[in-house]
Amino acid sequence: MGKGLLFFLAWVIIFLGSFAFAEEEYKFDLSEIEKKPYHLGGYLELRPILFGLDRNASLYKLKFFNRDEGKTIEEYDGKLRLEGSLEKGIARLFVKTNFDLQYSYLGWKHNEPKSMIYEGYLSLKPSSSLSFNFGKQTLLWGKGYAWNPVAFVSKPKDPDDPELALEGYITASADYIKSFQGPLKTVSITPVIFPVYKDINDDFGTVNKLNFAGKLYLLLYDTDIDLMAVTGGSRTTRAGIDFSKNITPNLEVHGEFAFINNQKSRVIDSQGDISEAKSDAKSYLLGIRYLTASDTTFIFEYYRNGAGFSHLEMKDYFTFIDRGYNLFLLNRNNSLLKKAASVTEGNYGRINPSKDYLYLRISQKEPFNILYFTPAISTILNLNDRSLSLSPELLYAGIKNLEIRLKAIGLLGGRGTEFGEKQNDYRVELRVRYYF
Amino acid sequence: MKKILISLLVLSIAVPAYAIDGTQLLKQIDRNLNPESYEMYRKLINIEPNGRKMEYTFFSIKKGVDKIAGVFIAPASEKGRSTLRLGDNMWLYIPNVGKPIRITSLQSVIGGVFNNADILNLDYTAEYDAAGVEEKGNEYFLQLKAKTKMVAYDRLNLWADKNKKLPSKIECLTEAGMLIKTLYFKEVKDFGGRIVRPSIIETDSPLYKGYKSIMIFAKIKQRDFKDEVFTLTFMPNIESLR
Repeated sequence: MGKGLLFFLAWVIIFLGSFAFAEEEYKFDLSEIEKKPYHLGGYLELRPILFGLDRNASLYKLKFFNRDEGKTIEEYDGKLRLEGSLEKGIARLFVKTNFDLQYSYLGWKHNEPKSMIYEGYLSLKPSSSLSFNFGKQTLLWGKGYAWNPVAFVSKPKDPDDPELALEGYITASADYIKSFQGPLKTVSITPVIFPVYKDINDDFGTVNKLNFAGKLYLLLYDTDIDLMAVTGGSRTTRAGIDFSKNITPNLEVHGEFAFINNQKSRVIDSQGDISEAKSDAKSYLLGIRYLTASDTTFIFEYYRNGAGFSHLEMKDYFTFIDRGYNLFLLNRNNSLLKKAASVTEGNYGRINPSKDYLYLRISQKEPFNILYFTPAISTILNLNDRSLSLSPELLYAGIKNLEIRLKAIGLLGGRGTEFGEKQNDYRVELRVRYYF
Repeated sequence: MKKILISLLVLSIAVPAYAIDGTQLLKQIDRNLNPESYEMYRKLINIEPNGRKMEYTFFSIKKGVDKIAGVFIAPASEKGRSTLRLGDNMWLYIPNVGKPIRITSLQSVIGGVFNNADILNLDYTAEYDAAGVEEKGNEYFLQLKAKTKMVAYDRLNLWADKNKKLPSKIECLTEAGMLIKTLYFKEVKDFGGRIVRPSIIETDSPLYKGYKSIMIFAKIKQRDFKDEVFTLTFMPNIESLR
């Protein structure tokens, strides 16, 4: 572990130790609940990370073929999240900004200015049954914890950190809600207009298209059910359904099913020949959330990625990278590696590109009566190649407005497997967030 | 003759105890605690054995017997976190996560001795049947039994002031009679609008030795809401009702 990282960890521990005893006496002042027409808040985050590199892995070779950064690399991430809102009558303006600053072996870097506004929209609520939102907003659909195959109008979430906020898209949407007595308790309809033009949502798909999406939510027989669809040409038409229900007070089951029409796939073989194919893809997810009497929570999910690659296809991709790397070592020719890189972005390089996965997370709330302390362990298992990631973490939120998380991720798998060919063997990170 | 006199004497002592209708009494306790539909502000404080405290400010709304929702307005780390309960269904919305997830009544959204069922509590009559009622000095002692398995505590022992018909202490028990926690109702206060009720609930638990949680009621007001605000879709907007 780098000296810089050790010094930083020591500093954080000393700093937090002094913070813990600086708590003030409690008082209940009614001015605290006085509502203001505006709100400003957010958090400041520091996150030093240590990566242990796997110098034999294909993805290491693809990224580091022409440089040697040693066995480990350090990275220091900082984030400033600012949120503000202003309310007047039926209107509310909300803005969430995100400024990322990173120092790594590549030097200083910050996020693109257009990605700094995560959300920014105007909300109009003529009644409690009807609302309209215009602007950049995150519409996260689906009931899965680690994956959401039906999240058609949001950026993909990271199963290693599924609770991270996602950047939104510029849309116009409405919500109409109606409540009933009887087994059908709620119906709500969310139509969405999703423009994709130059400089507007242009990372979503084909530009110069006006897309339409919609979601119908039902609370029927104590079961949450959503039906959703999107069409319009930027991406192929897709439709889905999800559900969530408590079978007992401590056992919840959920699921999602997505149908994607004419999904394109680009497959590279071990010789570097690229073939493109179109087929209908069916993805689904089934999961449970179970809470024991001793406050242990289990989240278990199976995910079938209909648009994923088979084990053989993944193996061919890694073999081709290795061929490209060997060619580079032979005569400094990186043409094959460039070709491999061209099929990586948004294809083999997307989060969990294989077909079948299992996810398990076990978290224990407040063990040994340590309030606000939650240790957890998560694993993602690629069922096709039997490789896996294993992430233990310790979360402490016992100091007002401060959240500390220490997390490690170990990647296990043989050659030619998803997790075995990632550029890292392990990652250790400390995340400190101060909310204001 | 002597036997008849003794029987009459026994009956005259016993009849008042049997004359109390537990269900009616529980209904009265419910209405004395809160109007059927209301808005309220509470401060929840967790106190650790070393005296360290964490405070949360919570705004909640209720309608009828089975609809309750709320949102944390402080501290900054919890602000915007909202909860919804429709009968036995409970959800939590975390602004960062961006979508509601189902939770259970046994969990705690804030940590400490109070769990979700304590924070999003429905009327006692909605969840419990009066299995027995006795007079004990200046208090009624009610034994309550959960109507379904979905209720957080299988049994409650409730002590209520005879005159005010307000609870003074509630023991929360498992089906086997194991004590989970005790709630102490303190400092009766006039909140206006004919709402006179304890302004503090203290709780401790043998499962959290040395720890204590306190709920302080600041404002309680009768208010009517549309059913549509008690829905998943409305959860991100609960704070707009303040």
